[in-house]
Amino acid sequence: MCGIAGVVYKDKKLHPVGSDMTKMLNALQHRGPDSAGFSLYGGLGLEDNEYLLNIEVKERPGLIESVKEIVEFVSPIKSEELIPSVENFSIYRCKISLNEFSQLKPLIMDIDKLEDVMVLNGSHSFEMIKDVGSVLEIADRYDTWSKMGTHAIGHTRFSTESLVDRYHAHPFQTYIIPDITVVHNGQITNYWKIRDPLERKGHIFETNNDTECIVHYVADKLENGYSLEEALEQSVKDMDGPFSYIIGTPNGVGIAKDQLGLRPGVMSENDDVFAIASEEVSLREVMDTQNVEQISPGEVRVYEI
Amino acid sequence: MIIYEGDLMREIEIDAQSKTPREINRAIRDMSQEYDRIILKNPDAKHYLAAGLTNDVELVIEGSAGYFVGTMAHNARIKINGNAGWFPADNMTEGEVIVEGSAGDGVGQGIYGGTVVVRRDVGSRTGEIMKNGTVIIGGNSGFMTGIFMMGGRIIILGDLAEDAGESIIRGAIYVLGKIKSLGKNAKIEEIDEEDKKELKELLPSYGFELDDSKYDNFRKIVPRSKRPFYGQDSEEG
Repeated sequence: MCGIAGVVYKDKKLHPVGSDMTKMLNALQHRGPDSAGFSLYGGLGLEDNEYLLNIEVKERPGLIESVKEIVEFVSPIKSEELIPSVENFSIYRCKISLNEFSQLKPLIMDIDKLEDVMVLNGSHSFEMIKDVGSVLEIADRYDTWSKMGTHAIGHTRFSTESLVDRYHAHPFQTYIIPDITVVHNGQITNYWKIRDPLERKGHIFETNNDTECIVHYVADKLENGYSLEEALEQSVKDMDGPFSYIIGTPNGVGIAKDQLGLRPGVMSENDDVFAIASEEVSLREVMDTQNVEQISPGEVRVYEI
Repeated sequence: MIIYEGDLMREIEIDAQSKTPREINRAIRDMSQEYDRIILKNPDAKHYLAAGLTNDVELVIEGSAGYFVGTMAHNARIKINGNAGWFPADNMTEGEVIVEGSAGDGVGQGIYGGTVVVRRDVGSRTGEIMKNGTVIIGGNSGFMTGIFMMGGRIIILGDLAEDAGESIIRGAIYVLGKIKSLGKNAKIEEIDEEDKKELKELLPSYGFELDDSKYDNFRKIVPRSKRPFYGQDSEEG
């Protein structure tokens, strides 16, 4: 099943987006018990050349030092934090600075070569939080309740194809262009047909998960001059299978639904908030409205600030 | 739990907050044996509300319902003062489900009887595989309305999206607004005086007051053939 949600505050100011998205996802908990995740945009406040790395590290003596050694070969570590997770893993978070965005993916690939280490993501304008367990467990573990931001997307996962671990939890991110993430409910049945031309262009796939394919596809379109709305509209034509997915960018969010409308999606907005989700119960956590719209088969909705 | 006992009607309130759908439905079922009207507070768009409710009772849901509200209901009169998710009244056999707001996909899916009313717009596949009964939509209805419909009637006061009446076998879809396109085995007919009389009796009884002249604008989608999947263009037998 899976539950997806997105919210944008129209005034572009900072709001308690972590708390709001936690409530939206908790309302969708019944749609997926395996893992949950958040992309919280606009609240990191990093300098232009700064990035935040989220790295999964097994609790083994000396391993974090090995990670730091690789990072410090490229960038000074400006701040760091260690968040205990489950199954003998912790999340090592550090703030770094790079001369170019293009240095980020090679650095991540170098870190990933260490055994029992996996970079969950690296970002500039959003904070990614994802882990196994329930929404509320993850919210408490990472204190999503206190996070501020301008917009967010989130996910509760009912796994159908790939592994249940924090790396395969949604959101998925691409490094084709900065800070594009996706959450997804469904399956892309022409996955290899979509993936193959992207790989031929040199885009790197880290998993066999169809959700990763969506985020690379959309980022590739954005890099080639498509607007977010145009990219999503094209994806509906190109991708087969039952799906609804939400893309997060530094400027907003957008939802796309398959042409047969086989996965749910509803939206509502008022003067202050634009919200989309799998079910109305989630929208009600951020607005009190009777005006809930169904996203139609093949339809795309985008809200950018 | 608040109980009102008037001269003629026994009414009770159930607060759905912090209850699971199973606990809510058990309470509804138990109370429906003793009371004439049940008011469900704080439904929070939970799924499966009033599933399998088979007593002759009026249930008022004060807020939105999630998926499958009133599924397999028989005899109950269910009113939702909010929106409904996917498949309201799925497989209902008799009774009423009235949604005062909008609803998702599959409104009245597979019903055998009874009446489903949604005041505003609905999603796709309205009346999918319905066998009998009535579905009334006050607004627009999405993609493939009446897909594999096998009987009964659907009345749409707004517009119909693509592939209306896809693979319809029996029954009729009455449309007041535009029809974007027809599905396989569907054709449009003008309505006759008998149809008009039926609609004029039915719609006001559910609060849809139309000018008399509007009834002339209804069109009817019906099957081209009752056996479209056996290679025959025309109806057999």
